[in-house]
Amino acid sequence: MRRIVLPGDFLSSNPKVAGYGTYVEGDKVYAKILGLFDETDNSIRVIPLKGKYVPSVGDTIIGIVREVSANGWTLDINSPYQAFLPMLENPETKPGKKINDVLDMGDAVIAKVVNIDPRMRVTVTMKDKTCRAIRFGRIVAINPARVPRVIGKKGSMIKLIKSELDVQIVVGQNGLIWLNGDRKKVSLAEEVIYLIEEEAHTEGLTDRVAEFVRRRKNAQT
Amino acid sequence: MSEDVLSEVKKDYVLSKLKEGERIDGRKVDEFRRIEIKTGVIDKAEGSALVRLGNTQVVVGIKMQPGEPFPDTPDKGVIIVNAELVPLASPTFEPGPPDENSIELARVVDRGIRESEAVDLSKLCIEEGKKVWIVFVDIHALDDDGNLLDASAIASICALMNTKVPASRFGAGEDFDLPVNDVPVSVTSLIVGDKFLIDPSRDEMSVGERTITISVNKNDEIVAIQKSGDYLLSEALFEELLDKSIVAGRKIREEILRQCSKSC
Amino acid sequence: MLKPERLIVDGKRLDGRKADELRPIKIEADFLKRADGSCYLEMGKNKVVAAVYGPREAHPRHIQDPVKAVIRYRYNMAPFSVEERKRPGPDRRSVEISKVSKEAFEAVIMKELFPRSVIDIFVEVLQADAGSRTACINAASVALVDAGIPMKGILTSVAVAKVEGTLVLDPMKEEDNFGEADMPFAFLIRGGKIESIALLQMDGRMSKEEIKEAIKLAKKGAMEIYKLQREAIMKKFLEEEENE
Repeated sequence: MRRIVLPGDFLSSNPKVAGYGTYVEGDKVYAKILGLFDETDNSIRVIPLKGKYVPSVGDTIIGIVREVSANGWTLDINSPYQAFLPMLENPETKPGKKINDVLDMGDAVIAKVVNIDPRMRVTVTMKDKTCRAIRFGRIVAINPARVPRVIGKKGSMIKLIKSELDVQIVVGQNGLIWLNGDRKKVSLAEEVIYLIEEEAHTEGLTDRVAEFVRRRKNAQT
Repeated sequence: MSEDVLSEVKKDYVLSKLKEGERIDGRKVDEFRRIEIKTGVIDKAEGSALVRLGNTQVVVGIKMQPGEPFPDTPDKGVIIVNAELVPLASPTFEPGPPDENSIELARVVDRGIRESEAVDLSKLCIEEGKKVWIVFVDIHALDDDGNLLDASAIASICALMNTKVPASRFGAGEDFDLPVNDVPVSVTSLIVGDKFLIDPSRDEMSVGERTITISVNKNDEIVAIQKSGDYLLSEALFEELLDKSIVAGRKIREEILRQCSKSC
Repeated sequence: MLKPERLIVDGKRLDGRKADELRPIKIEADFLKRADGSCYLEMGKNKVVAAVYGPREAHPRHIQDPVKAVIRYRYNMAPFSVEERKRPGPDRRSVEISKVSKEAFEAVIMKELFPRSVIDIFVEVLQADAGSRTACINAASVALVDAGIPMKGILTSVAVAKVEGTLVLDPMKEEDNFGEADMPFAFLIRGGKIESIALLQMDGRMSKEEIKEAIKLAKKGAMEIYKLQREAIMKKFLEEEENE
């Protein structure tokens, strides 16, 4: 079990190795958030256990339209910050088509973060193969800090869910996850996701998840 | 706001489960969540109770002091119910004086206590026409996971059952137990079209703030009703709810007496 | 309240404590579901609940700061928290306490990481008994950690009073009412040590030497409280593990 650290905990006297979740003052590296201490050869980081989603360029996110304006849509992305999807970044935009016929209030989309300005104004695009307007399937919400666990090392966890359960799954970095497939399988996938969320910081999780899935699938048949 | 995103997501889930007559937490449509009651949690208060209804948490404190009676009831004590929906309890509560929701909650809880005559106000007279006991029932929300109203009503009656009148402190005789003769229970249901869900959780409320509260006394009499929200209620659904609320009310009353008898 | 004849007899205080002893403390992290971070804390007869919401969008727009998060702190007492029922709503004392407490946290929260947002800290006093503001800061500290808010370190708070010429740690009600001085502190603890002072007030009359002694005494108390704050946070995660 990795060591839990709190803000202000001393981690190292080598500022060069300071990574995510740490800060440097003088020549000392301290933790700045509650999380799991993780040390590799050339970096020290703190893996957050909780916290709001703060967007980064390149993130895939799932957002919900909150405002429709003449040149695009403002999305709620489960963050202290909203995102803006410019009209031209949505491949479904067509001349002559009314903007709210393309996307209206309450619609959900999978999009990608392309720009963040110094004031944290976030711009997203749908011009990427993973992106789409969500018209069917289910959206599940989890603590964004647990997303890396749902994805797994090199996507191992997501691969497990896809192959064992035969569902389509897109994980937004902002804690929203889109699932599509047979109703029962989608329900099971949702349970798996909540299981991963709860046990995110423990070891041997991948095996336990595989076991859970196998047991439930046998029970269902 | 990010609160809205999550609530949007939950709404679809609640509705799709409801189509099959199911709830997202597996309860039956007329089932209350788990109730946990702790009395005497604020020892400086004359009476108190902390109630957990599912994840919803509320604490009620009773403070008493002598005061003037109302002119038309010179020999009866006075009950004043106030609710503070403090911002700590929910991302949507704002600091400030009670808004229409706090006021409605307090008044509906008050109605249940008053109309069931749960507290014998005639025993709270100190000097007729001049001095009576004022009973402050202060509801303090801690965690709003839906149905603060019923949780507050349970906490209020439990706190009252736990109350000792501090007569000696004011030179008005010896301390005595506040006389409580009834356990009014409020039963709130979320209305979705022609369906209802008793004791809605916050996730279920994302479907819409449309409820009806029916308060029942120990004789299965209705002592308060409050329709809340912008919807039209059919008579048939209302009558069905009257029956369901009486039944649910009985169960809650049993639970209250079971948990409170240990500490009241 | 009637003043007791003596507040300290043979080195023992009215509740049996020695001059440098804290009242019993109980801390539970992650106490609420809705809040992003929370804490229930008892310090002597004080019972407080702290909740943190944020960072979240700042409303109304005009309170936004383009380069950093705005921190808000609201200290509030429940009507039933004191002997004589208190009318709901902020009074002048609550407003002052909220201000100095907010400023203490502003010095340690990494606000620049969240421009244009707000971080709300709400603390409710359910039962008060001298030192409620220090109890609230200790609870708020744990709630902020629980919410995943980045900070330089942890804030720990305790007060020292001067009673019948003696300095006492973590004063109780009678000592607060009838003592000669009252001095609440909050310290930033980093690297396991007390580093600097984040909150400081004094009310009464003290000599320079007495103040220096008071600081020493407060630091001792703060380190003990800090250990309990850490334990409470760790406990939450160890609990989760045990349930598996």
